[in-house]
Amino acid sequence: MNDTGNGNSDAPEWVSLAANQSRLSFGLAVTELAERDDRVVAVGSDTLDLIGLRTLQERHPGRMIDVGIAEQNAMGIASGLATTGMHPYLCGYAPFITARSMEQLRNDVAYANQRVVIGGACSGISLGVSGGTHHAIEDIALMRCLPNMTAIVVADAHQGWHATLATQDHDGPVYIRLGGRAVETPVTPIDATFKIGKADVMRDGRDVTVIACGCLVAEALTAAETLSEKGVDVRVINMHTIKPLDREAVLAAAAETGGIVTAEEHHLTGGLGGAVAELLAEEHPTRMRFVGMPDEYAIVGPTDKIRDRYGMSARHIVAACESLVG
Amino acid sequence: MPDKSNREAVLDQLREEALKIRRNSWRALHAAGIGHVGGALSAADLLAALYFHFLRLRPEEPGWADRDRFVLSKGHGNAALAAVLAQAGFFDDSRLDEFYAYESLLGMHPDIKCEGVEMSTGGLGHGLSIGIGMALGARLQKKNFRTIVMIGDGELQEGSNWEAAMAAVHLSLSSLTAIIDYNKVQQSGHIHEMMGLEPLADKWRAFGWAVREIDGHEMGEIADVLDALPLEADKPSLVIAHTVKGKGASFAEDTYLWHNNVVTDEVYEKALAELEWQA
Repeated sequence: MNDTGNGNSDAPEWVSLAANQSRLSFGLAVTELAERDDRVVAVGSDTLDLIGLRTLQERHPGRMIDVGIAEQNAMGIASGLATTGMHPYLCGYAPFITARSMEQLRNDVAYANQRVVIGGACSGISLGVSGGTHHAIEDIALMRCLPNMTAIVVADAHQGWHATLATQDHDGPVYIRLGGRAVETPVTPIDATFKIGKADVMRDGRDVTVIACGCLVAEALTAAETLSEKGVDVRVINMHTIKPLDREAVLAAAAETGGIVTAEEHHLTGGLGGAVAELLAEEHPTRMRFVGMPDEYAIVGPTDKIRDRYGMSARHIVAACESLVG
Repeated sequence: MPDKSNREAVLDQLREEALKIRRNSWRALHAAGIGHVGGALSAADLLAALYFHFLRLRPEEPGWADRDRFVLSKGHGNAALAAVLAQAGFFDDSRLDEFYAYESLLGMHPDIKCEGVEMSTGGLGHGLSIGIGMALGARLQKKNFRTIVMIGDGELQEGSNWEAAMAAVHLSLSSLTAIIDYNKVQQSGHIHEMMGLEPLADKWRAFGWAVREIDGHEMGEIADVLDALPLEADKPSLVIAHTVKGKGASFAEDTYLWHNNVVTDEVYEKALAELEWQA
C-alpha cells in the first residue's frame, strides 16, 4: 500500500481539517480556489457544514450562496452564474443533487455545456442507517450518460482535495462523487498529483487486475494483499475518472493480465463496471467479474455491514479475482 | 420613456416591431409546418418593447459581458424570440425560413448556440433559477446588467418556480424581473380548468416580490412598467402581463387548439391577411 503520509506532522493544514473525509476536503479545496480566483463561488443546498464551507462563508459571505433545501433551484442558479463567467461549485447530497435536479442538470448544465462543478456528498451507501432514500447507488450511471459531463469518483480525502483543485482550469460540467460522514481509509498520498482522465495504478501485478473507484479502492488494496499471500499477483487501478475513461489503462490491463474485476459502491448497472465492459467488448474482449450493488435497494444498517451483505467487501473482490485466475 | 414629446412616436415604432414579430413568427412556423403559435403571438408585444426599448444589447457583439440578459423560460415561444432576434440584427432574417430545418440553429425551443439566446430552454420551470444565477453573477462582478425572465403561465405549475420565487426575494435581487405571459391557456385547456393559478398576484406578493399587473398588449402600459423597473428597491420585480393566447389571429385566439398546431399555406395566408388589417 502507498505511504499516504498521514502521520506526517509537516502535512498542510487541509489534511487535518479534512479529517480523512472527502466531503470536507472538497469544501476546503473550494475555499482555497476562492482565495485564488474571484470568479469562484459556492452554491449550497443546506450543506454548509456537510461540505465544510463555513470558512468560505465567513471570509467571502457573498460567494457562499446556500439556497436551502432546493436542489432544482440550486442547479439552475449555478448554471446562470456560469453563463456570466463565474465558476460555481455546487454542493449537495449525492442522492438529491443528482436525481432531484436531474432535468436542470441535464438541460441547464450538461446540454447548455456550462462550467459547473458539482460535489455530491454521502454517495453510495455511506449513509447506511439513513436507508434507501439516502443511498446514492445510481449517480455514476446518471452522470455517465450525459454528454459534456466529466464524472469523477474520489478514493479518499486527499484525492478529494486534488481532484477539486484540478477543476480550476477545466472547462465544462464536472461531477465529483464524495464520501459520507465517516472516515475514509486514506489510500493516496497527500502530495499526489491528479489528472482528470488519467487513472492511477496503485499496485502493479500480472495475474489479474482490479479496477476500482471510490471507497472500494481501499477494499481492492486489501484484497490484493490477501491474494498476494496466496501467490496471486494483482494489479490495482484507481479509476477515479469514470468519464472520460482512461482507455489506455484499461486496455493495458486487459492485454497484460489474466482478467479484470471492477469494484464500485454503485449499482452493477451503468457504473464503472459498465464503462469498462463497454470499452473491452469492442476493443479487447476480456474475462470480467463485477463487484457492486445488485439490482435491489439496500437494507438499513451500518455501511460496512451493508457493503458486506451485498457483496462489495474485500473478500468478494478476492473471490472474484480467484474465479478468474483459478 | 425619457422624451415624452416623442412618446407616441416611440410607441408606434414598438407597435410596428410587434406586428413584424407576429408576421415573422407565422413565417417561421409556416416554414416549419407546425408549431407553437399561441404562446408566440401572446408574447409579441412584450418582446418588441423589451428588445427595442428596454434591453441594452449589442447584436453585433452577442457576448458583450455587460449586456442585459433575457431568458425565455417558456421556450416553446421560440418563434417569437427568433423573430425579435432577427429583427434586432442578431442574425440574418433569412434564418427564420429555416425554422426546424436540418442543422438549423432555430428549433422548436431556444438553443444557447444561437446568437442572442442566453440559455437553452424548453424544459419548463427552469428559467427563473437561471435568471437568479445571472443576477447574482452581475452582483458578484459589480456589473450593472439587468436580467429579465419571461415565464409562461402554464409552467408556473412546476414547483421549481416557487423555489426560485423564494430565493430571489431572500437574495434581494432587484436587478431581476420576471414577466408572466398570462395568456390563460395551456396545451390541454384553460389554465383555470387544468390547475388554476389564482390568486396569482397575491401569491407573488406573499413571497415578497414587487408586483404590477398590466395589459400585455397595450404598448404604453408595457413601456411604462419597463421604465419603472425595479418596481421597488431591494426586491425582485414581477410583471403579470395579461395577454391573449394566439393574439392577432381571430381563429387562434384564446384556444388550446392553437397552442401547437399545423400551419398550412391556407392558415398562413389567412393569418397574414388578418395582420394586414391590424397594421
